[in-house]
Amino acid sequence: MRFNRQLVPSLALASLVVAVSGCARTDAPTTAALVDDFGDTLIVGNAPQRIVSLNPTTTELLFAIGAGSRVVGRTTYDFLPREVLAVPDLGQGLRPNVEAVLATHPDLVLLYASADNREAARRLRASGVTTASYKLDRIADMARVTSTLGRLVGDTLAARRTIDSVQATIDRIRRQTSTLPHPTVFWPLWEAPLLSVGGGSWLNELLEIAGARNVFAELPQPSPAVTFEELLRRDPDAILSGPKTRLRLMADPRWKTLRAVQVGRMLVIDTTMINGPSARVGASAVSLARLLHPDVKF
Amino acid sequence: MRLTRWTALWLALAAAIVAGVMIGTLRLSVHDVVSGMLGVGEPMPIAVVRTLRLPRVLLAALVGAGLGAAGAALQGATRNKLAEPYLLGVSGGAAVGAVLATALRAPVALVPLAGFAGALAAVALTLLVARASGGRGDARVVLMAGVVVGAFANSVIMVALANADAAAVRGALWWMMGSVAEASWMQVQVLALFVAVGIAALFALGRAIDVLALGDDTAAGLGVDVTRVSLGVYVAGALLAAGTVSAAGLVGFVGLLVPHLVRLAGARTHRSIIGAASLAGAALVVCADLIARVARPPAELPLGAVTALIGVPFFLALLRRLA
Repeated sequence: MRFNRQLVPSLALASLVVAVSGCARTDAPTTAALVDDFGDTLIVGNAPQRIVSLNPTTTELLFAIGAGSRVVGRTTYDFLPREVLAVPDLGQGLRPNVEAVLATHPDLVLLYASADNREAARRLRASGVTTASYKLDRIADMARVTSTLGRLVGDTLAARRTIDSVQATIDRIRRQTSTLPHPTVFWPLWEAPLLSVGGGSWLNELLEIAGARNVFAELPQPSPAVTFEELLRRDPDAILSGPKTRLRLMADPRWKTLRAVQVGRMLVIDTTMINGPSARVGASAVSLARLLHPDVKF
Repeated sequence: MRLTRWTALWLALAAAIVAGVMIGTLRLSVHDVVSGMLGVGEPMPIAVVRTLRLPRVLLAALVGAGLGAAGAALQGATRNKLAEPYLLGVSGGAAVGAVLATALRAPVALVPLAGFAGALAAVALTLLVARASGGRGDARVVLMAGVVVGAFANSVIMVALANADAAAVRGALWWMMGSVAEASWMQVQVLALFVAVGIAALFALGRAIDVLALGDDTAAGLGVDVTRVSLGVYVAGALLAAGTVSAAGLVGFVGLLVPHLVRLAGARTHRSIIGAASLAGAALVVCADLIARVARPPAELPLGAVTALIGVPFFLALLRRLA
């Protein structure tokens, strides 16, 4: 065992050297090395045929780049695109049941790179399964991870197309909204405790692109808790919510103290967009911009 | 307890309520607050004072009063200085109800009701367990049954949370840490009724609790029906605790600490201990809530954490005096 432990990093290093030297050559090799967000090195060989994706956002990205038919495991929270529901549910995605994952005989496992998943990634790799973990928290992460997924599944062209299409939409919306007045917006993520979209969230980026100013943009956390009085002090022009929440808030005497509720600027959003920065980011930016600027054609 | 001390207690509560209505993230002048209270002038101060702060402060006061009174009566009836309102499985049962409701994604408004139902179920279970082991009125058996039911509730919570998503876990934890941030006039009215009836019931049992303090045998010799009085205190105390839990989640330490404070201040008979503990509990929770909402703007601290942060040093000082 001791021998093996010493061997693994040196093997990884050796393959990295091969990969790096390979890059310099014109006849591209079939293997290359990548580093994931845990700092683990991945050996990319043959395109994987059985992929387990334990982050709904990476699952969506796989489907977007045409690798959806190779997904053999998903989380409980995956529901987009609809075809994914036919894929076996392997639990919540954080601290996964490693044996249940192995039972699907995957040749690639994708995890969300949080401390919760560190040990699972280690075990899966020790079992000989290529495991890649990514933090997918910001819009820039979408392009970065999509590009990597393209290399992992062996279709860099589809990945490039997806990234370019999303980026083109984002650029177009940003250009169109840059000259428009930016209304202030409150985007609640939870009611008790009252959680807001914060500056650390990609939803805050989405609001800026769509031509709005988040009233809690200066808070660094992705979903900070805020007091109702502070919300009233900042009195936003508009409030975003799902259709059911909207009805409830409009009937609540506390929420009726807000200007946005009084004048009826309670905008109904598609709540599935909050799941993560997937390939739908461009479409989400368009629908938000339309909501916020109903008089402008996007 | 001397009249000056009663006056001081009422003044402390009044001062806490005034401070609670005056101070907040939004700065309002005395004039704004007064006109807001009267419902004249600018709409913003009226909304802040009448819709946000007043119900919140009053709900905090009612929660404190209920917990203080329940703690005082339970400490007396069980002759146990560590007894507190959440004792008979109330906290565990309430948490199970609230956590299950959150994990099953029930509407936010249903969470307190689920908490209340869970608390009542746990108390009923505790008393049934105690009865089955032949100790319905025996404080030690009831306390042990409460501990066991609480432990069972904890395991249910762990199973439920282990499989819940992150947002539900955060919501459930927040509820367990206690808060009056969602206070509405409706809640104030319901809890006011609950607390009034509960405290009146405990007050009526006050004399009998005094006799219970002499020991079961002596009390029986003096003509007190030990089992009935104990059961009465358990049920009234648990109902008070369950009512406060459904309004504000779990607000720890108040029911344990406040009865000790008022006894230290000279309250001797249980009627005066229960009355004084209601006032002191109310003042304490109003102050704790004020700290919870102004300490770290724009976020809010959990009320239960603040009451424990205030309560623990007090309790340690108390222990030194008692030891």
